[in-house]
Amino acid sequence: MLKPLAPDDWNYTKAAHLLNRAGFGGPPSDIQKLADLGLEQAVSRLLDYEKISDPAKNPDWAKPNPDEVRKYRETVRTGTPVEKKQAQREQRQLYQRRMTELRGWWLQRMAAGPRPFQEKMVLFWHGHFATSVDKVKNPYYMWRQNELFRRLATGNWRQLLLDAGKDPAMLVWLDQAQSRRQHANENFAREVMELFTLGQGNYTEKDVTEAARALTGWSLDPKTEQYIYRPRFHDDTDKTIFGQTGNFDGDDFIGMIMARPQSARFITAKIWNYFAGQMPSEELNTQLAAAFRANGNNFKPFLRVLFRSQEFYGDDIIRNQVKSPVQWLVSSVRMLENQLPPPLVSWGMLRQLGQDLFAPPNVKGWDGGITWISTNTLLTRYNDAQSLVEGTLPPLTAGDYAKQPGNAGGKRQMRAMKALKRVRLGGMNVEKVLTPGERDDKGTIVAALEMRLFQTSLNADQEQTLREFLEAKTKLTDADIITATRLMMSTPEFQVT
Amino acid sequence: MKNEITLQTRREFLRRTVLGSALSWTVPAFLADTFSALQAQAADSAIQTTTGKDATILVVLQMAGGNDGINTVVPYANDFYHKARPKIGLKPDEVLKLNGEIGLHGAMKGFKELYDAGQLSVIQGVGYPNPNRSHFRSTEIWQTASDSNKVEKNGWIGRYFDNACAGADTTVGVTIGNQLPEAFFAAKPKGIVFNNPQNYRFMANGNATEESYKKLNELEMSSPLPDDNSGGSIAMLPAGMPMTGGRAVDFITRTALDAQHSSEEVRAIAAKVRNIAVYPPSQLGNSLKMVAKLIGGGLATRVYYVSQGGYDTHTNQVASQQRLLGDLAESVKSFTDDLKAQGNMGRVLVMTFSEFGRRVTENANGGTDHGAAAPMFIVGDKMKSGLLGKYPSLAPQDLYQGDIKYNVDFRSVYASVLENWLKTKSAPILGKQFTPLPVV
Repeated sequence: MLKPLAPDDWNYTKAAHLLNRAGFGGPPSDIQKLADLGLEQAVSRLLDYEKISDPAKNPDWAKPNPDEVRKYRETVRTGTPVEKKQAQREQRQLYQRRMTELRGWWLQRMAAGPRPFQEKMVLFWHGHFATSVDKVKNPYYMWRQNELFRRLATGNWRQLLLDAGKDPAMLVWLDQAQSRRQHANENFAREVMELFTLGQGNYTEKDVTEAARALTGWSLDPKTEQYIYRPRFHDDTDKTIFGQTGNFDGDDFIGMIMARPQSARFITAKIWNYFAGQMPSEELNTQLAAAFRANGNNFKPFLRVLFRSQEFYGDDIIRNQVKSPVQWLVSSVRMLENQLPPPLVSWGMLRQLGQDLFAPPNVKGWDGGITWISTNTLLTRYNDAQSLVEGTLPPLTAGDYAKQPGNAGGKRQMRAMKALKRVRLGGMNVEKVLTPGERDDKGTIVAALEMRLFQTSLNADQEQTLREFLEAKTKLTDADIITATRLMMSTPEFQVT
Repeated sequence: MKNEITLQTRREFLRRTVLGSALSWTVPAFLADTFSALQAQAADSAIQTTTGKDATILVVLQMAGGNDGINTVVPYANDFYHKARPKIGLKPDEVLKLNGEIGLHGAMKGFKELYDAGQLSVIQGVGYPNPNRSHFRSTEIWQTASDSNKVEKNGWIGRYFDNACAGADTTVGVTIGNQLPEAFFAAKPKGIVFNNPQNYRFMANGNATEESYKKLNELEMSSPLPDDNSGGSIAMLPAGMPMTGGRAVDFITRTALDAQHSSEEVRAIAAKVRNIAVYPPSQLGNSLKMVAKLIGGGLATRVYYVSQGGYDTHTNQVASQQRLLGDLAESVKSFTDDLKAQGNMGRVLVMTFSEFGRRVTENANGGTDHGAAAPMFIVGDKMKSGLLGKYPSLAPQDLYQGDIKYNVDFRSVYASVLENWLKTKSAPILGKQFTPLPVV
């Protein structure tokens, strides 16, 4: 079993680590609170989020819209070509607006909501069951899946698989909605084993084709925008999966996956990687899987064991994870006690940094780790840091518009640029970040900012560079402190947590 | 007998030459048929010097998602083909005929023009033993040139850099995009990534800020990097391996240095060169447009990497493949037009690949599921053009689990590109000696 961390070993550094990984970090005061609570209470504060009320409202379109759907389908079917084209354009624009709103809604929950750990899990499941609006199209489906991940964020593994598999977004994303007994579509059957539960090498090609037959019947009713079981689509004959033969259906198949020990190994390794920042050793993975199974394949008690383990607080774990773009953005805002940029701007930043929420690159999700970092994304992070602290527009958002086909220098670009110029970001408020006492001395400014941004010190050369930068200013303004903060965010050290 | 005498004579000859003084008795006989070939080999075994003006260049073009090769290079006269694809099969008048049996997808006019000009080779039935139908695993196999049952942590282009480009500038490899492809993963990572040169820089509000940025990013790493970067190797995390020692921040520090040092050069070149050809307004079009600029401006790059996505056509394949292949052919044609206008056509080779082809039989949704072998395209001025290899049989009894069988191992194409185009030994890079396909 995992070794529990001794209560006496709990301290500020470990509290910061917990808040960074099980949440999206926070200002020194938040870390201090967790440190004061002690290990057990601190973990509970994050994990037992059901005790904290969540007043956030859902977007008003976040419900089935059968009337809207019917009207659209009718126009497309029976309207004149002009009407049809217009309806399609209007729907595209409507969907774009809703997706922008949805992205902002979710980011806001992460940055300012009362349940950061729950949102951290939603982000994990989004990367795990990586589903993209590029194919799903319907924002209601995307919201619904996101809400499903929230509802079952730390629930039961089997329940989550069944519910996620039968949710409209997944039914569209991996073509299960269109699968027929005459010719079963293998897309979901394959990915559920390869990417969601077992991993390469733990099933055969034959298992894929047979499981695809078992899954037939899981379908989507586009009229009601709900899951529907269609007996006529279902292949009601024997299948042989994992060497067992029977007239299985989709639920049976999911149950058969669950019965395989590999399904616990696979998901616990991935969860460990997400929170600890590296894949577990074989030995550790065995311990993780055992802890998961001992808790009935329920995530909450398993994660409680994980966050209270010595292993999670190892020297090779702390400050050795590359921040994902979402982590980078949300934790920067939280550490600086700042506002998120407006949804359109946040979205532009995340897309440029390689993590376009609701549009992962493929069903495998984001590779993560050091693949977040390329020469391109690193410079983009450095430049976006400037936007965050100064409250200016990120250069890349504007550049993005220029790259749209046929847009360069055109009217649409000019309009977009103008609209973007009106956008104001919060910018950093120096008074919130430094006490008057700290602000008085250039040495304490650097130290206070270091603790806030890194929860540790930079190396001596870097500290000296920063002090020299401040020393060179005859009269130190807020703008200089803001630039110094941006410089600290423009370091390799700021990209890890 | 005669052979032995020849070898003797050659050795005698070598011993009396400058070259021979270094190599004499240790040269394996099979390496050289003639003295000039031997000399070329010897020169290539040394580190490759990269200049932006005369070295050969490889452009790797990834068609991500698993392109349906059977509807790309179409066996339009084959009954099995039409029987397997009643809905999505292309009729003889919907293809651009290459001969009495095979034609290119009708959207690929640009490729047909290149073919007619002797600048396109179509390698048929490319794959590898024990094909894997997972996008991710199969992509990994193509990117790392590994056997299907082995996991290789570094990419084949990365190993080319490791083996043949030590000491070269980091711009020896350029990816247009956001993320470094697995093919570039290396013991000593090289290669830069960017998509918009204007923004490929640190934006500073004054000289003092700029100077401080440089100092903050030039400093000593937290622990010195071992030479082979065995710690934070880029290959480790995505391959799902534990990170053993070494810290993530060291990898980022190295990337920060590469970014700082390449930023100015890339921007200067991109601003200097103008494209003459008109490209389709697609991502691929924009990427190749940028590559043409960098080649025209003389960036010292040996390998460029661009990609086009969207080929995972499980449903309604006809319309999406039409659009994708049209974009591909038109973008590449524009690219070659640019290169010709620059006078660089002879220096550049474009090689396409996709992680797999698709099932012979169409599915019930007007699409195709994951398959195995597929064609590769090579575009250039100095290679063997035309139809190469043999079209795999579509007869049901010749299929394996519904897929065509490969005739050409993709690594024999890589071997040819490495040996005959990039002029380096392929065995150390590919792990063993593959017989180079006589294409380049």
